[in-house]
Amino acid sequence: MTRPATWLTALAAAVLLAAAVQPAAAQGFDIRTHTLKNGMTILVQEDHSIPNVALYLFYRVGSRNERPGITGISHFFEHMMFNGAKKYGPGEFDRNMEAAGGSNNAYTSENVTVYQNWFPRSALDLIFDLEADRIQNLSFDPEIVESERGVIASERRSSVDGNNFGVLAEQLSAAAFTAHPYQWPVVGWMSDIQAWTLDDLKNHFKMGYSPSNATMVVTGDVTFDEIVAMAQKYIEPIPSNPPPPKVMTKEPEQLGERRVVVRKFAQLPILMMAYHVPETAHADYYALQALETILFSGQSSRLYKRLVDKDQLALSVSGGGDWSFDPSLFTISAQPKAGVDPASVEKAIYEELDRVKADAVTDEELEKAKNILLSGFYRNIKTISGRSNAIGTYEVFFGDYKKLFTAADDFAKVTKADVQRVAKQYFTANNRTVATLVPDAAPAADKK
Amino acid sequence: MTRTIRILCSLLTAAAIAAPAIAQTGSLKLPPYKKVILRNGMTVLLMEQREVPLVSFNVLTKAGSVHDPSGKEGVASMTAALLRKGTATRSADDFSAQLDFIGGSFGAGASQDATVISAEFMKKDLAKGLELVADAMLQPSFPEAEVKKLAAQRVDGIKSAKDRAAGVIGQYFNAYLYGKHPYARPAGGDETSVASITREDVAKFYEANYTPGGTVMAVVGDFDAAEMAKQLAAVFGAWPAKAAPPAAVADAPEVKGRRLLLVDKPDSTQTYFRIGNIGIARSNPDRVPIEIVNTLFGGRFTSMINTELRIKSGLTYGANSGFAEWKAKGPFFVNSYTGNATTEKALDMTLDVLKRLREKGISDDDLKSAKAYLKGQFPPDIETSDQLAGVLSELVFNGLDEREINTYYAKIDAVTMADVNRVIKQYFPLDNLVIVLVGKASEIEGLAKKYAPVVDRKSISAPGF
Repeated sequence: MTRPATWLTALAAAVLLAAAVQPAAAQGFDIRTHTLKNGMTILVQEDHSIPNVALYLFYRVGSRNERPGITGISHFFEHMMFNGAKKYGPGEFDRNMEAAGGSNNAYTSENVTVYQNWFPRSALDLIFDLEADRIQNLSFDPEIVESERGVIASERRSSVDGNNFGVLAEQLSAAAFTAHPYQWPVVGWMSDIQAWTLDDLKNHFKMGYSPSNATMVVTGDVTFDEIVAMAQKYIEPIPSNPPPPKVMTKEPEQLGERRVVVRKFAQLPILMMAYHVPETAHADYYALQALETILFSGQSSRLYKRLVDKDQLALSVSGGGDWSFDPSLFTISAQPKAGVDPASVEKAIYEELDRVKADAVTDEELEKAKNILLSGFYRNIKTISGRSNAIGTYEVFFGDYKKLFTAADDFAKVTKADVQRVAKQYFTANNRTVATLVPDAAPAADKK
Repeated sequence: MTRTIRILCSLLTAAAIAAPAIAQTGSLKLPPYKKVILRNGMTVLLMEQREVPLVSFNVLTKAGSVHDPSGKEGVASMTAALLRKGTATRSADDFSAQLDFIGGSFGAGASQDATVISAEFMKKDLAKGLELVADAMLQPSFPEAEVKKLAAQRVDGIKSAKDRAAGVIGQYFNAYLYGKHPYARPAGGDETSVASITREDVAKFYEANYTPGGTVMAVVGDFDAAEMAKQLAAVFGAWPAKAAPPAAVADAPEVKGRRLLLVDKPDSTQTYFRIGNIGIARSNPDRVPIEIVNTLFGGRFTSMINTELRIKSGLTYGANSGFAEWKAKGPFFVNSYTGNATTEKALDMTLDVLKRLREKGISDDDLKSAKAYLKGQFPPDIETSDQLAGVLSELVFNGLDEREINTYYAKIDAVTMADVNRVIKQYFPLDNLVIVLVGKASEIEGLAKKYAPVVDRKSISAPGF
C-alpha cells in the first residue's frame, strides 16, 4: 500500500512519494500499451494472483497550472470529481463503487492529479462507466461546491494549522520560489479556498481534464484485450481538448541565502532547508538519489548518525527530492531536541554536506545505497496498487515507463565523483533557503 | 493532498484477516503453511510466496505494555526499540551498518498485548538477515548509553507529538476511558515515566517477558520451507525454554453515563474529538456482524457518519469509527474534527447519527453493499509476504488458525438483519459515552456541559495524558 496516509504538505507528500518509488530492478514485468484515438495512453500489467484490480488515472495537471487567486484549485477539483456527473449524480460514484466492492482515493501534487480505484475484477465494467461519466459530464452544483469548500478548509486546518511541519514547509516553498508556481501550496491559500468561483472550476476542468492529458494504468486480474475493449467502448468516444498551456515561468537562479522564521505555539522547534535541484527527468536524478540515500536512509545514514545518534542534537532528520516536471527542491527537515538551538543543528548539517563535497562518499556507502534502492523497488512493486503507481509515475515524469526497468542500470552507473559533483553543485549557501519554527509559549492570537 | 485519510479500519487493525494469492471471487483460502513448535516452546510458521524476491519476518511475543510496571510506562516499547541498539556480538552502529548495507528493514515496537518485531530482506541476503533478527531477539545487551539516549529522545518525542492534536487524542481517550485498567496506560509512556526508565528496568523487562513459549514467528516469502525450518530450529532452538508470562488482563467494564475530557491546545483552529466506550475483544464471536455495521456507520467513505459530517455538510475532512480488537476488550471510537466555530454542530450531528443507527438501523441494500465491500476489499489485505506474515502470526498468537480466513466470506454471507439489529443495540452505545475534545478551550469550553454531567480538563502542555 503506497498511498500516503495523509497529505502532510505538498512538499512533505512529494518527499514521501519520492522516497516510496525507487528505481527498478533490471528485470521487468510485462507491460502492454495502447493509445486511444482521443490520445489517452493505456498501460496494462496482468497479475492474476488476487482477484482484484488497481486502476490509476494520471492527469498532467496540478498546482503548477494555477495562478494567484485560484491556488489550490487543482486539489479542489480532485475533490469535485467525486461529486456527481450526468449518469451518476451526487454521491452515486462512491455509493456504486463501494456496493460493488470497490474503493477509491486520489492525490494532487504540484504536477499531477492521480485518481486511484481498487476493486474486485467483477466491478471492472462499472469502474469504466464511472470514470467515463465524470471525465465527460462532470456537473457543478453550486451547493455542493460550497459544501466541498468546507471540507477543504478542514483539510487545510489539519495539515497546516494543526501540523507545525506543514506550516513551516509551506513558508519554506513560498520563500524558495519567487517566480515559479511551485511557490504556492498544493492545498491552496485559505483566502483562495474561500474565493474560487464556479467559472474557475469549469475553466480548470476544460483545461486539465482532457483524455489526451491523462494516462491510465491498470494492474491486476485483467487481460490486456479486455481493458483495451472497455477503454474503446467507454473512454474513446470522449473528445479531447488542447493540452494545458505550457508553464513558461522559469525560476531565476537564486543568488543568496534566504531565511524564514515562523513563531508559533509549540513545544519543540523545527528546522527545514531547501536547495534548488533539477527536474526528475534530468541526468542528475540518479546521483541525487544516491546522495539522498547515503545522507538520510536508515540509522547508518550520515545525518542520522551525526544528528540523532552521536551529537544527539535532533529527534529526527529526513530529506529528499520530489517528482517534478520543472526544477524543484531538495528539502532537509530536522527536529531539534528540547533546549537545543536550531542553529547548532543547522551547523552540523552543513558540516556533513561539506564532508561529502570535500572527501566524497565511500565505495561501501555507494553500494549500500544501491541495495537500499533495489530492495525499496521490490517493496514498491509487491502490490498491484504499488505497481500501478510506479508504472504511471515513471511514464509521466520520465516520459517512458520503461525507465522503471533500466533504473537499476542507470543507478549502477553513478560514481562517487558524480555524488560529489552534485553535492558541490547544488548544496551551496547561495542556493539554499532556511526556515525555522521557533516555539512560542502562547498562541499568536492571544498576544496583542 | 489526498482526498481522504484512509482509515486502517475498525475491527481489522494491523492484522486484517484475509485471503491471499489464491482467492477466487466468492471464496478464499489462506495459502498452505507449515507450523513447527520448537522444543523450547517457540512457534514457527512458514509459508512460501515467490512472487517477489523478498522474505518477511513477523514476530509476536507476549511482552505487551500491559506488563509495564506502574510508573515505568513505556518500558515494553523502549525494550523493543533497544533490541537493535547493541547485542552480545554487535554494537548499535554495527547492527545498523549491516542491516542497511543489505537494504533490509527491521522494526520493533510494543502494543498493549504484544511486542511486534518485523523485518524484511532480499532473498540473496536472507542468511545475514536471519542472523540479525536472531541477534536482536536473543542477545540484546542494552548498553547504558543507548538506554539513556533513547529515553531522552522519547521524552522529546512525546512533546513533539503533542504539537499535533491528531497524533495524541488516542492516548488521552484511552487514559480517560480506561481509568485504572492497564489499557489506560500509554504504550509509549509519558514524559515522566519514560524519563525514569533505566537500563535495569529494560533488562528486567526483557528477562521476565521475552520467552520462547510466548513467541510466535511467521516467515513468509521466497525460500524453501523445509530448509528454513531447519535453520530456524538451529538458531532459535538454542533459546533456553521458559514459560510465557501470565497475561491475564480482565475486561474493563463499560463506562456508565457520560463523561467529557477537554484538553486545551490554545493554538487550535480546529477541535478534534473522539467519542466512544469499551468495545470488543479479539475473541468476540460477533466480530463479523460488528464489522459490517461499523462499515456502514463509520468504516468507509459513504458511511453514515462521513456522509453527514463531510459529504452533506462540509464540516470536516473526515469522520470515521472503529473497534480496536485487543486481547481483552479494546475501545470503540468515533473520530472527527471541525473548525472551532462548528464544534457544537459537529458533535450534535455525531450523536444524532449514532441515535439514528440505533433507532432506524440499516436497510437491506446497505447490508448487501457492506458485505460486497468487505469481500471486495479483503484480498489486497493479504497480497504480500509481509501482510501474510502479519496475518499468520496474529492468528496463531491469538489461538486461531487459517479457518478464521477460510470461513471469512461464509461468515459475511451468513450475517442476517437480525444479527445486525442485535449488534447495533449491544455494541453502539449512545447514553453511555466518553467524549474527549482536544482544542482551544477558550472558544469551546462552554459546550462541555451540554454533552456530559461530568467534565474534566487538562492542558496539552502538562506531562501525561
